[in-house]
Amino acid sequence: MYRHSAYPNGYASNKRDDGEPFSQYLHRFQPRQTHLHQRNRILKLLGLGCVLTFFGLLILHPSTRNHLPLLGVASPAVKHFEIETLRYYDLETVQGTSRGWEREERVLLCTPLRDAEEHLRMFFNHLRNFTYPHHLIDLAFLVSDSKDNTEGLLTQLLEELQADPDPKQPYGEISVIHKDFGQKVNQDVESRHGFAAQASRRKLMAQARNWLMYSALRPTHSWVYWRDADVETAPVTLIEDLMRHDKDVIVPNVWRPLPDWLGGEQPYDLNSWQESETALALAETLDEDAVIVEGYAEYATWRPHLAYLRDPYGDPDMEMEIDGVGGVSILAKARVFRAGVHFPAFSFEKHAETEGFGKMAKRMGFSVVGLPHYTVWHLYEPSEQDLQHMQEMEAERNSRAQEEKEREERMKRIKEEFKDPNSQWEKDKAGIAEKTRQEEKAAAEKKAAAKKKVAAETKEAAEKTAAEEKAEQGEQAGQKIQSPDTASTSEESVKVKRPLGKKASSD
Amino acid sequence: MAVKRISRGRGGITTLLAFVLFIGVLVFIFTPSSDPESVATRQRISDAAAANPLSPPTSAFRKSSDPNGRRSPPPVVHYQLNNLTSTPNPIANKERILILTPTTKFYQEYWDNILKFTYPHEHISLGFIIPKTTDGNKATTELQKAIAKTQSGPESDRFQSITIIRQDFEPPLTSQSEAERHKLENQKIRRTSMARARNSLLFTTLGPHTSWVLWLDSDIIETPPGLIQDLTSFDKPIIVPNCFQRFYNTDTNAEEVRPYDFNSWRDSDTAQELAAKMGPDEILLEGYSEMATYRTLMAHLGDTDSRRDQRKIMPLDGVGGTALMVKAEVHRDGAMFPPFPFYHLVETEGFAKMARRLGWESWGLPNYFVYHYNE
Repeated sequence: MYRHSAYPNGYASNKRDDGEPFSQYLHRFQPRQTHLHQRNRILKLLGLGCVLTFFGLLILHPSTRNHLPLLGVASPAVKHFEIETLRYYDLETVQGTSRGWEREERVLLCTPLRDAEEHLRMFFNHLRNFTYPHHLIDLAFLVSDSKDNTEGLLTQLLEELQADPDPKQPYGEISVIHKDFGQKVNQDVESRHGFAAQASRRKLMAQARNWLMYSALRPTHSWVYWRDADVETAPVTLIEDLMRHDKDVIVPNVWRPLPDWLGGEQPYDLNSWQESETALALAETLDEDAVIVEGYAEYATWRPHLAYLRDPYGDPDMEMEIDGVGGVSILAKARVFRAGVHFPAFSFEKHAETEGFGKMAKRMGFSVVGLPHYTVWHLYEPSEQDLQHMQEMEAERNSRAQEEKEREERMKRIKEEFKDPNSQWEKDKAGIAEKTRQEEKAAAEKKAAAKKKVAAETKEAAEKTAAEEKAEQGEQAGQKIQSPDTASTSEESVKVKRPLGKKASSD
Repeated sequence: MAVKRISRGRGGITTLLAFVLFIGVLVFIFTPSSDPESVATRQRISDAAAANPLSPPTSAFRKSSDPNGRRSPPPVVHYQLNNLTSTPNPIANKERILILTPTTKFYQEYWDNILKFTYPHEHISLGFIIPKTTDGNKATTELQKAIAKTQSGPESDRFQSITIIRQDFEPPLTSQSEAERHKLENQKIRRTSMARARNSLLFTTLGPHTSWVLWLDSDIIETPPGLIQDLTSFDKPIIVPNCFQRFYNTDTNAEEVRPYDFNSWRDSDTAQELAAKMGPDEILLEGYSEMATYRTLMAHLGDTDSRRDQRKIMPLDGVGGTALMVKAEVHRDGAMFPPFPFYHLVETEGFAKMARRLGWESWGLPNYFVYHYNE
């Protein structure tokens, strides 16, 4: 299209009217697209700035490179987490108080396990029932020298516990320590409690307990609770109940239920005791490595045992100072272990393991206390002797049942052989009566015939009648003799019955 | 316009140069990292870190990624202590070393010295126990400053983890101007308190990973950089180098060394007899004239000749704690620093005795020196 800046009349195209003076500077010089140009340049500058900063950042701080997805492909896929390497703890905050659950004090629960597969489910039921806040309890297990599936089952149960949908169920830190100590002593009840094996067994147990604790104790723990897996019945508030006493080391009384024929119940843990003069004197005479063990005739120590002082109706809060402690259920402040008290795997003042632990705690000035009337029930595992006794009882029961059966059979046989004679007697009596009647009839007929004959032959009548009456009398006497006979037979059969009945009742 | 014309004029070379430079920068940037080894280190450290803060203090741990700080319940962690070794070749077996330092005063020289250790730092964890006193607070601040610098510095210098424990009991007051008798009594109180601090530190930080524990006092300011490898190479359950002190001898006007730690000794019959006569709560101490024990002190056996045999080794009955290398299994068996008279011995000397009762022998290196700070 034709375009011109002026009209054909010679005026500039933007001249409105003639009065307006012509000026070539009427409008400011405005190059075309100035605006756009400037914006472009600013954008370019900005972009350049960004790119420069970006590359500068990458060069100056190499670590930022890893945040780029694009660069992440170029570099090998390294998973990065923000890592904290410094931990700061103030031990004054983890002294342990009587109301730990309110002050969020952490508890370390230690359980040594060996061939304990059969007890694990029971133990986990106890775990689930603990009323102490679970997230404040750290669990530590030692699996050692196990030949059964303790490890597999433990892992499975722990995983289930931690994945429980109930937020109150999962526990805190969970450590499973695997360490074998090459234990040659068998774990069955007999060899476990035999006297000769005690010293070396207790030292190995002590070593195991130390390895467990020193792997699991953290600066955050205020309390350490030792619990065996084979506790059958215990209060769910056990941790709080023991904690309330605010003692450095505290143990409940440990008993076990027994079958009725053994008395129903029995003290189990004899390792909680008060020191006696006799025992101290005995310790003096023993050599450096000897270990005094309780509950064996070989060492008569005459110590007052916590277990024997139990009164089922006693005050469960009653405390008793003790020197040796049993390991079934110990609650101790973590500061006791931090100070260095442990389970001596050597003869410490002639004791090892938990008893040595009690002794060492005392030596360092910590309070060691037992609760005689607060009871935890250990699982009852029959000993070899008990098993034998049970076998004997079983055999006796069997023989008695056998006897009973035989007796019944004999009774049956007797009943069959000696039938009740009454019916026979009735029959016989009926038969006799019938016979008598017939005979009487016959006699009567004969009499009638005789009378007729008398009537007919009056001469012979006197002789004949006399002879017939004689015969009749003889027959009646025979009958009289017969009936007492049958009566005596029935009486005899009753006599046979009676002694048998007596025997049965006397049994 | 002018610029354009110039660029058009020399276009070839400039563009080429710019292009080469650009490619160079790109290559530089896209190279995974300047140091592939550092990436590997970082990866290893990241793998070794525990998933939860509730974990052994000898591991670093991952910070919570959840903004609310909420975490899922801690995982079930298995520790195979059957596979844990403490061998004469710890680097090859990736054995973890725990360096434990009871601290009352922070010495920068101490920190600089452990930074120089040639043992891979990723396998070293540090533990400190500091009393809650004014001096202790000062030491903590200085220590934290040093830690912050190191742990954000080069990857290879960073330690696996560091734990600071604040002591839960007051350290006994130390007064210098007391009668000799009281000094002895004070010494006993000081040593028992020290033993308790050592136990508190040891048993809260040991954890399931540690293979060797190196006790190193905060005033040990100079050791050979290969200290860890050197001490472990003897494969002894407990081993002590000889602790000396550098000083300026004003008589000869020369830098000289003198023995410092007298707690490493072999027992003597005299000492045994002394102990037999003692009450159950009395302790035997070294370096008191009224209690001459005539023990063989390792400190006096040190040969200062530069051509000495550094690998000379001797059995010991008591050990000092200024520098002390212990297999972790010795501690795990229950060997601790008795804070009560144990066979009339306390702290590190009692430790050697307790270890002996558990069947572990102690050894000393009379010609291998570490140096104590000189006030």
